Amino acid sequence: MIEIKEISRTFQTREGEFEALSDVSFEVRDNEFFSILGPSGCGKTTLLKIVAGLVKPTNGAILVDGSAISGPGEDRAMVFQQFVLLPWADVLTNAGFGLEMRGAPRKESRERARPFLDQVGLSRFVNHYPHELSGGMQQRVGLARALAVNPDILLMDEPFGALDAQTRQLMQEDLTDLWDKEKKTVIFVTHSMDEAAYLSDRVLVMDTHPGRVKELIDIPLERPRKPSVRSSPVFTELTTRMWQLLRGMIGVPDELAPE
Amino acid sequence: MRLKNTLSNSVLPVVGLLIGFAVWETIGRLDLSPAFPPLTDVLATSVEVWTSERFLTNLQDSLGSVAIALPPTILVGVLVGILVGRYRIAEWALDVYINTFLSIPVVALIPILVLIFGLGRGSILATIFIYTFFVVVVNTSSGVKTTDPNLVEMAKSYLGTERRIVRRIVLPAALPLTLAGVRIATGRAIKGVIIAEQVIGLIGLGGMIQRLGGAFRVEELYATILAIGFLGLISMELVRWGERLAMPWMRDRVNGASAGPAENAA
Repeated sequence: MIEIKEISRTFQTREGEFEALSDVSFEVRDNEFFSILGPSGCGKTTLLKIVAGLVKPTNGAILVDGSAISGPGEDRAMVFQQFVLLPWADVLTNAGFGLEMRGAPRKESRERARPFLDQVGLSRFVNHYPHELSGGMQQRVGLARALAVNPDILLMDEPFGALDAQTRQLMQEDLTDLWDKEKKTVIFVTHSMDEAAYLSDRVLVMDTHPGRVKELIDIPLERPRKPSVRSSPVFTELTTRMWQLLRGMIGVPDELAPE
Repeated sequence: MRLKNTLSNSVLPVVGLLIGFAVWETIGRLDLSPAFPPLTDVLATSVEVWTSERFLTNLQDSLGSVAIALPPTILVGVLVGILVGRYRIAEWALDVYINTFLSIPVVALIPILVLIFGLGRGSILATIFIYTFFVVVVNTSSGVKTTDPNLVEMAKSYLGTERRIVRRIVLPAALPLTLAGVRIATGRAIKGVIIAEQVIGLIGLGGMIQRLGGAFRVEELYATILAIGFLGLISMELVRWGERLAMPWMRDRVNGASAGPAENAA
């Protein structure tokens, strides 16, 4: 279990102090697919980086299975919005790079990464360079890199945010299939309501300025999720609820709401 | 369109050279000044000079100095460049020296080098060092600073140590600018050795130029200068070839990062 306890984070800017997160507390259960949903600037990425151990909170603590984290750990692996692949290394080296950073020799890392590239459907592209791949394929490499270190917890920072709509939907379907096979604990940051509803067990909706917890929504859709679930009444109800929560924060009039 | 490109890429430089040759030859034939002998005379002399034992010995001297001084200078320059580029403290401590040495004309330092190393090869090697070291440092440190901070953060999230991060992320990220620095340094090493030989040693190709100039043997002088020019061209090409070898991911990147197969792997 991951406990996020009274996390606050302020940044020093030229205009003075900026409070990005204020007193954020929630829990993520083991093997749960947990999404953090919020508009830009709500501090959701900062929050994820705090859980990753990349950013220190000003106040509060993150407990994983009861013990406080003090930095990045073997139990967690991150998938980044902009993929963050080494442009000078081929797909296999990139997928093994997490292992390599954890101390495994390069050759061994490459070999150990191979089955994970199979899993994300890239076995034919192991010797390609990132710039030869589409965005969706690059993010598959990013996912394989995270899976290869066999983390208990997968931290995903708007992983499909940089992809076009079709690719995005395809990636969501593949991710939920992957998750059905091996239920890791996932914390998934997104600003897409559809994505949050389709993938998650629970969705935390965040408020802005400062970033804080607005509401926790249970997603009672049955698993395994089929793409057709998107057109079910429950799904629509859920995304409508999310929209009602988000609408006030971004100051958009009612007429612009999706059907 | 393609034909036009081929024309401008391969034919135009040749045309440019031919026009240059014609102008040189004409001025030489007009006998305007002893400083401009006809090109054909120079070329005829060149064949003689370039095969003479004196020239080959001097060439060996000059190249030898570059070969001794340049590789260790590059090595130390890259190491210092990494320190300056990655660690604030090193930058604060060394920046002022680097900028000073980059702007002082090296000829001004030669008398001091002679006081330290004497009138011989030591001073020549030291001149090459000063001429090339700081260029390598500045280029490497700029290269280090181009490192994508997202890559470093990613490595840290996977528990990468500083050592691994420098070796696997910072160094490759800095490589293009570092190698550009090496290329500039190679050119400067050739300049440096000629200048040093002219001023200090009167050995090598620099010494040869000094003596030929003093004796008004203009054709031979041009032959030597041409040789130095070719030397520069060849060494640049060698470094460029090395760059392509060292950075295979830059080789076919002409059309940018977006070209790639469509999303159909799933």
